[in-house]
Amino acid sequence: MKNIDARTPVSQFYLDKIKSMHDEKVKLNKEKLAAFGGSYDTDDHGFIYFKDFTFKPDYLPGKDRLEGAKNIGENLRRFWNEIPVYIYKDSALAGAWAGKFQDFVEVGMKRETDTPPELQKIHKKYHMWANGLGGMNHMGPDMNIGLREGLPGILNKVRYYRDFNHPSDTDFYDGEEAVVLGMMEYTKRHADYARQLAAEAEDEKTAQHYSLIAQTCENILAGPPATFREACQLIAVFQSADRTYFLGGALGQLDELLRPYYEKDTRAGILTDEEAIWILASLFYNDTHYSQVGGQTPDGSRDLTSRVSFLILEAAHLLHIPYNLAVRVYEGMDEKLMRRALEYILEDGSGVSFSCATGIEEGYTRQGHPRELARMRAKVGCNWVALPGIEYPLQDVTRVNMAWAFEVAMEELKKDPEPTLEKLWDLFVHHLEIMVDCIKDGYDVHYEKVSKIAPEVVLNLFSHGPIERGLNAAAGGVDIINLNMDGIGLATVADSFAAIEQRVVKEKRLTWEELYTALEHDYKGYENIQLMLKNIPRFGSPESLARDWAKKISLLYTDLVNCAPTPKHHLRVVPGLFSHGDIYKHGEELPATPNGRNAGDPISHSAEPDPGFAAGLTSFSPTLKANAVAMVQPGYGNSAPLHLDIDADMLKNHGGIDTLAALIKTHNEMGGTLINLNCITKDQIRRAHADPDSEPDLVVRVTGYSAFFASLSKEYRQQVVDRYLSE
Amino acid sequence: MQTGTIFNIQPFSVYDGPGIRTTVFLKGCNLRCLWCHNPESWQIAPQLQFQEEKCVGCGNCFKVCPKGAHQISERGHIIDRTLCVGCGICAQNCYAGALVLTGKRVTTEEVMARLLEDAPYFKNSGGGVTFSGGEAMMQLEFLKELLIRCKEAGIHTAVDTAGHFPFEQYQKILPYTDLFLYDIKAYDPETHRRLTGVDNHHILENLPLLLQNGAEVIVRVPCIPDGNWQDMEQIACYLEPLPVKQVELLAYHRLGEGKRKSLGMEMETFPAPSVKEMEGLLETFTKKGIPAVYNR
Repeated sequence: MKNIDARTPVSQFYLDKIKSMHDEKVKLNKEKLAAFGGSYDTDDHGFIYFKDFTFKPDYLPGKDRLEGAKNIGENLRRFWNEIPVYIYKDSALAGAWAGKFQDFVEVGMKRETDTPPELQKIHKKYHMWANGLGGMNHMGPDMNIGLREGLPGILNKVRYYRDFNHPSDTDFYDGEEAVVLGMMEYTKRHADYARQLAAEAEDEKTAQHYSLIAQTCENILAGPPATFREACQLIAVFQSADRTYFLGGALGQLDELLRPYYEKDTRAGILTDEEAIWILASLFYNDTHYSQVGGQTPDGSRDLTSRVSFLILEAAHLLHIPYNLAVRVYEGMDEKLMRRALEYILEDGSGVSFSCATGIEEGYTRQGHPRELARMRAKVGCNWVALPGIEYPLQDVTRVNMAWAFEVAMEELKKDPEPTLEKLWDLFVHHLEIMVDCIKDGYDVHYEKVSKIAPEVVLNLFSHGPIERGLNAAAGGVDIINLNMDGIGLATVADSFAAIEQRVVKEKRLTWEELYTALEHDYKGYENIQLMLKNIPRFGSPESLARDWAKKISLLYTDLVNCAPTPKHHLRVVPGLFSHGDIYKHGEELPATPNGRNAGDPISHSAEPDPGFAAGLTSFSPTLKANAVAMVQPGYGNSAPLHLDIDADMLKNHGGIDTLAALIKTHNEMGGTLINLNCITKDQIRRAHADPDSEPDLVVRVTGYSAFFASLSKEYRQQVVDRYLSE
Repeated sequence: MQTGTIFNIQPFSVYDGPGIRTTVFLKGCNLRCLWCHNPESWQIAPQLQFQEEKCVGCGNCFKVCPKGAHQISERGHIIDRTLCVGCGICAQNCYAGALVLTGKRVTTEEVMARLLEDAPYFKNSGGGVTFSGGEAMMQLEFLKELLIRCKEAGIHTAVDTAGHFPFEQYQKILPYTDLFLYDIKAYDPETHRRLTGVDNHHILENLPLLLQNGAEVIVRVPCIPDGNWQDMEQIACYLEPLPVKQVELLAYHRLGEGKRKSLGMEMETFPAPSVKEMEGLLETFTKKGIPAVYNR
């Protein structure tokens, strides 16, 4: 028996196919950039831009948007029947998604009409435009449902439970039925298209290639997938459907999902490793859905690392386009998997992220769930984790910008004739509590409305419960609803408190009045005061005031979120600290802050110190940053990621993989939740920033997701550059 | 409890021994190497560094300096080093961070608190703590107490030294030092004196003695064209019979220039060796069977 980590000798035939997909993706990316104003700051997502395609939605009488499962399902079905078919000549799989449904139709909750006015007022005051209301898709499907049942099986299941439950209103089931039929018809159209391409092929080999694609599609229309390739084709169909509807982007434990097919096919002699790599690369070419490899079975008795885990890494490495895979890190894990992932990161500059079991699993048990369930929680989003098909966690859809609570508190303090730091803290607590409570109120509204307005018509099919119960996932369809709430701006606020404590309270170099004046003038004419406030030991520096403030603020935020469920429906709310890459947008309207930040400048990132934080007696190091992020984890199983951008030149001769592995293991031990790693040289990043076209296929991990560096806007590129060059 | 003066604690130090290490830089040095890249380490007492490019010309330092050391000359803002007593008042008032007082008195307790924060990295990487400088041996009692406390905490220890002390002083720390990083800067005593300000008889005597006493040693040889380049063959011959763990050949670089300027020091510069020259040098060592490495 060969070692599961043996590198596959991939023949030129398959290497050429994979290279062709890489080149095609770079070409398509350039076309998309040209069509979308030169940049986009999210995942590439792999959609194909059909510029002439239009769609006319059928709204219900009196409605100006699609509403309810049936109305949405029927329109989705027609959409999938009308979008152009797509098969790339060197891919093993058929299909592509054509852009998000919401760009073609009005659908989903609306801020103006679906948000109660009293909440809108609070949203406006504290700039809470990412407030969770109407958040969609941020859960993880259980793809095993799809693989076990197949599309016809899912259709039968919908029909069976419609009859069995016999609801007075069949809207939900009718909608779900339309979605499955739409996915099947989409698959059938691709089978037919592949038959047509086979008939038109100029040589026998090409004809066979397309015939096999057609046969694969036809087979998954007839029953559950039986082979590795059929399983991947079904997943690709799911990806296209899921992504179309509100950008769903999760797969789950990919290695374990595919392992039975791989083992069966290789035993039968119908699948080679290099062919498996090509099929997997085709899946990654199709879309950047989030998935995980490694980890443990729920009972902890078996490590999930298999030959398939390594083939997945190899496929992603060879394709070398943005992809979103995570390796689960836990004490006692298969070290070979981590080392292979790191080898590819050092070779490619970026690669997988590392999902840390200590923070994610122990935190989840703190919510009252058993450890066995916690082990199943896979990384299925840029930062979020979920029990596949069991949990509705709605992570990554809220941003409580704590810097706004601080700003409002400062404004109120100005009216106080005797300002103190303690009073400022009390005001900050008061306003942060208002923001947190507002999100909780909003989640009650979300719970009441979203299932009627925009149910999870795709993900319901791949979850445990919604079809059986006739309920949308967000409304009791799945067993666990625990709604996440992300705080942001931690370092901005911590450094601001610390700067005031040091310069105003302790050293008395500055009066409150002088501070107010400098802030009101955005430090113009008060540059010395700005420097004074900036040049303190900031969050991330050991033994700093800012570190203590960061811990205190994180604890406060966690307590405010945890102390009570939503007031009306008593839904569990879970704290997280994650900003995505939107730190510029969240800073745009924020006035100058006492950490020396100018008005409009970006706020700090997630739970991280600001770039260039280390000053004085200790120099910057990745371990300082990792210690800081571990220290302020909310601790309830949701991610507060650590971004490490390490100079590859430094590692090349000094430790390399061993050093990185030790960093990752230690952050996991310290209670970390997620590590996003880039290892490129400073010269390379400088070159790419100055001239993005010079590095068209440089892939970087921006936050939880990866992207072509060249496709990011200047501001987003700057984030990555700052992390590299300031540290 | 001992107290000492340090000027930096560098976590994630991957150049100074095995694994992920935290390097504690102790102030004070008994050599004056012409190429030194840590000239702020020479004096044990705190030293004022001035990074001109950060200066915003606010004039605070002129106002607060009790000795009038900050002056305006034809070259702009200068510091009269003969007047500066290193009190640090100007640095405290320099909001731009252009003036920094390098060096801080700390207790072993304070240093250990910092080191223990990084202990999990040491455990997972086979790393530990390296004491460097300056010359770590200049504050021997402080160093010894830190080494003992590290060993008590199960932390691997390394001492970076230039070897210019009587051997008896090394004997005091031998039981607590897992690894020595030992510099050989020249073989010829006159060359050594010209380049470092001191002769090298202690240095050449101590290395074999350390090894005889069971110490593990990595030798580090700075390679400086027009400096010690002509000594390389002799250094290799000297090292050939010695059971050192490794010999690291370090190519001369000019990273110390900026720091020299910030301290108001003159600096002699040398040409940097090419990769090809370094690889040739490496061969000189390896063909004698010396476990030498050169990392670009």
